[in-house]
Amino acid sequence: MAGAILENLSTKKLSFFCLCLLLVQIACFLVGGLVAPAPSSAHNILTTKCIDPSFSLQKWFQPHGPHACDKVRDFDEATKRGIFADWIVFSAQVPHRPNTMHRSFQYMLGVLVMDIGYSDEDGKHLAPNAAVTLVVRLGYKDTDDGEFQELVSVNETRKLECVFPFTEDKVGYHYSCEPLPLFELGSVHHKHYLINIRMPITKDKATGALTNTNIGSPEDLHVVIIHQNGGFTTVWMSIKTIMFPIVLLITIWFWRRVKTQGKPSVLLERTIFALAIIMSILNFPMEWLTFWVEVPFMTLLSDIKQGAFYAMLFSFWIIFIGEHLMDQTQRNRLKVYRRQVASIIFTFFCLFIFDVCERGVQLVNPFFSMWNTDKGYRLAMAFIILAGICLCSYCLFLLFMVYQVFKNISMRRATLPHMAKARRLHYEGLIYRFRFFMIFTVLTAIFTVIFFIMSQVLEGHQKAGESISSVQYTSGFYTGVYGMWNIYVVAVLVLYAPSHKKTASTSNGEGSEGSHVEFDIDVPSEGRPTDPVVAGSLTEAYQLLSKTATE
Amino acid sequence: MSSGSHCRGTGRLVAGTTRLNTMRNLWMLLGIVVAVTYAQDVTWWNLGVDSRILHQFDTIGSPELYILGTQPLCAELPGLSSGQQKLCQLFQDHMGPIGEGARMGIEECRYQFSNRRWNCSTAETGSVFGRVTAIASREAAFTYAISAAGVVNAISRSCREGELSPCGCSRAARPPDLDRDWVWGGCGDNVDYGYRFAKEFVDAREKESNAPRGTYMYARMKSNLHNNEAGRRAVYDKAGVQCKCHGVSSSCSLKTCWLQLAEFHDVGAYLKDKYDGASRVRFNKKGKMEPHEARFNRPSKDDMVYLEESPDYCMYDPRAGSLGTVGRECVKTSMGTEGCDLMCCGRGYNSYTKEVVERCNCKFKWCCYVQCKKCRRTVDVHVCK
Repeated sequence: MAGAILENLSTKKLSFFCLCLLLVQIACFLVGGLVAPAPSSAHNILTTKCIDPSFSLQKWFQPHGPHACDKVRDFDEATKRGIFADWIVFSAQVPHRPNTMHRSFQYMLGVLVMDIGYSDEDGKHLAPNAAVTLVVRLGYKDTDDGEFQELVSVNETRKLECVFPFTEDKVGYHYSCEPLPLFELGSVHHKHYLINIRMPITKDKATGALTNTNIGSPEDLHVVIIHQNGGFTTVWMSIKTIMFPIVLLITIWFWRRVKTQGKPSVLLERTIFALAIIMSILNFPMEWLTFWVEVPFMTLLSDIKQGAFYAMLFSFWIIFIGEHLMDQTQRNRLKVYRRQVASIIFTFFCLFIFDVCERGVQLVNPFFSMWNTDKGYRLAMAFIILAGICLCSYCLFLLFMVYQVFKNISMRRATLPHMAKARRLHYEGLIYRFRFFMIFTVLTAIFTVIFFIMSQVLEGHQKAGESISSVQYTSGFYTGVYGMWNIYVVAVLVLYAPSHKKTASTSNGEGSEGSHVEFDIDVPSEGRPTDPVVAGSLTEAYQLLSKTATE
Repeated sequence: MSSGSHCRGTGRLVAGTTRLNTMRNLWMLLGIVVAVTYAQDVTWWNLGVDSRILHQFDTIGSPELYILGTQPLCAELPGLSSGQQKLCQLFQDHMGPIGEGARMGIEECRYQFSNRRWNCSTAETGSVFGRVTAIASREAAFTYAISAAGVVNAISRSCREGELSPCGCSRAARPPDLDRDWVWGGCGDNVDYGYRFAKEFVDAREKESNAPRGTYMYARMKSNLHNNEAGRRAVYDKAGVQCKCHGVSSSCSLKTCWLQLAEFHDVGAYLKDKYDGASRVRFNKKGKMEPHEARFNRPSKDDMVYLEESPDYCMYDPRAGSLGTVGRECVKTSMGTEGCDLMCCGRGYNSYTKEVVERCNCKFKWCCYVQCKKCRRTVDVHVCK
């Protein structure tokens, strides 16, 4: 890739272009921070304790309304009335009256929080490693007065992780328990949802032991519902809808420009093109579809798209840096980068498998999670650890290559004044392109990390009762980062597109197939690394990178 | 201070007993009309023990009952100020939780102070906390704080149970906008709603007074407001934040957090700490609060404040709001406040033995099935002279 637009752009034009990108970036952040609400909200629903002596899994138990169930206020009352644990149905209707769910909520997660009271009476203790067995029915309806329809009905077991944070004499205080993940729905297509939870005392088929006998004395069950906010969905999809055609048009322009060069495209150009294509796929606002059609696999799909984008981005970095190594190796083939790219692909393959297992099964059973069973937990951990190892090795590759480039750059700079004009221009061009890219990429990455930390720190630190700040930092972070990667891709597309001006591309008669021209043979004394130690380490490095140095 | 005898009369007046009392009290009312608001026994706390309110709201599932002539309820409830009556009429379904909150406050106060000389006594009729609020003592500060906290807790809880219709979207003008707000931004937190409504309702009483700055009544109003706020904040300060990660592949790139209310015992214990560390304050002529002794720091919004030192609560003294400790049980061996030496103020105690029947060797299934044996045990009881 010889002679990109970046080199031939005047400083004035370049700064104007960068300023435009900066303005778009600020706009993206502000739209998220000022227009959009928080990305998601959580609603705590305290379940109503309904009574069902018939133990009927056909009937629905609603906490309120004309068909409200027969209920008890607390278990003291239940004891007095002679009610059994098997008769209790914990019922939660989502959302609270008078609201209804909306399709723009995109997804809905349920978390179960148990209030377990501490008692010093024997038999009422919470056993360590206790597990709670739940019989859950999830139903929906779309009209106010209709009947609930069943979505899913399952038996699930969850491990309780509770500690009693006080000394033993605090009878009546509650254990402090970890919230239990309950379900994840990939689409919110209906207006009302109803959750009926039972904790039956029955013989477990596998072990023969009684279920739910060592769970202490639960007093209340809370179901926390988390969904994306409609306002955030609207803003998010609007940004995608605006970004999609812009990035797509620039991609087409880029490819046409490559084609009109009249010579075969180089690897770097193809990589940039692939990155742009994946960005466009990520931008394609297919979430609009959820407003009309029930698409339960949307979260799975967006996870996969996101993963593909990151994989492509990481591959692009490796290839870009490799193509600017400025050694005498002839690259320009994907095969040269097979190790690095394979580590990236494997990382994201692991995450993909994990995602398909988790979200894929959730399409059938929303209450499923790999983390809930010991086997699944180990499997999920294995996938994530494997992915982590691959990602680390990728990072090492990347850092090593960046180090190589900087070393080569400092060597080249020493020899620049002795080179012929064409060669000097070629190298200066390479160095400039690389420096610009490095600064731009590092800035983007740093901002992503800063935004991420900010959103993590700010999240959950807002105490209610104080006035809520008008800027939604978390939303601003999401739109800002999303906009930033779009801008990154656009900048790479525009600045690294082949230039029509001929000054740089004719740097050296035969150098048209790649960014590396083997002219070191011509300048044996100055061009070669003179330090034998450096030379030795370089050779070693090439071997490490499994590249054959052509001398 | 004549408000001591007066306030009992006001209590009867509101409860509507004898005409004679009413006449006598009307005469007094002309004299110290401002003092009434603060020193009277009957406040909204009485909702916590008013059986009407609890029964009325058992029928919460059927809103028709409100339409069918239950309107006078708000006027009938004793202890509501005019502003609170208005709120009662506007938010009838909130009155049950408010009563529940007041009851929780009373119960928690008794729980926390069961081993102190002052034990949130409700021995006298017509008043929830005895006559502790006769002077602006530490104990008065605690009662204001704990009952305000009880209301926040109960309203938030009812919100989460889905029993109150306008929960969540606590700010914007509703109902027409409710649906839009809800879909757009999820409409805030139930705890937030509880806090805001409790502030509105509980503070209404104090805010109705327009005592001039620099007077004692003004100082009482300001310190009551401060203690109400300390109580409401306690619910927040003890509430825990729980989070769930649900980003790409369930990573923590996206995290949603919610407030999980602490159990009310936790709030009570926290407020008791605040009670022990409460600061005595005075109000200057501009109406600004300052520490009674200049070397101490100004109390924060989370701290409790009081204006006058407490009596020792040893002997019966209605004017200071003390019931005395005669007849209270004490622990012979303890060196703490529940020990007989401290509890009986050195007057000595009577001892006798008593046989109690307790449940033991219980078999329990999580909800309501308990099978126990009966065990008998003799215990020594000590009672203050």
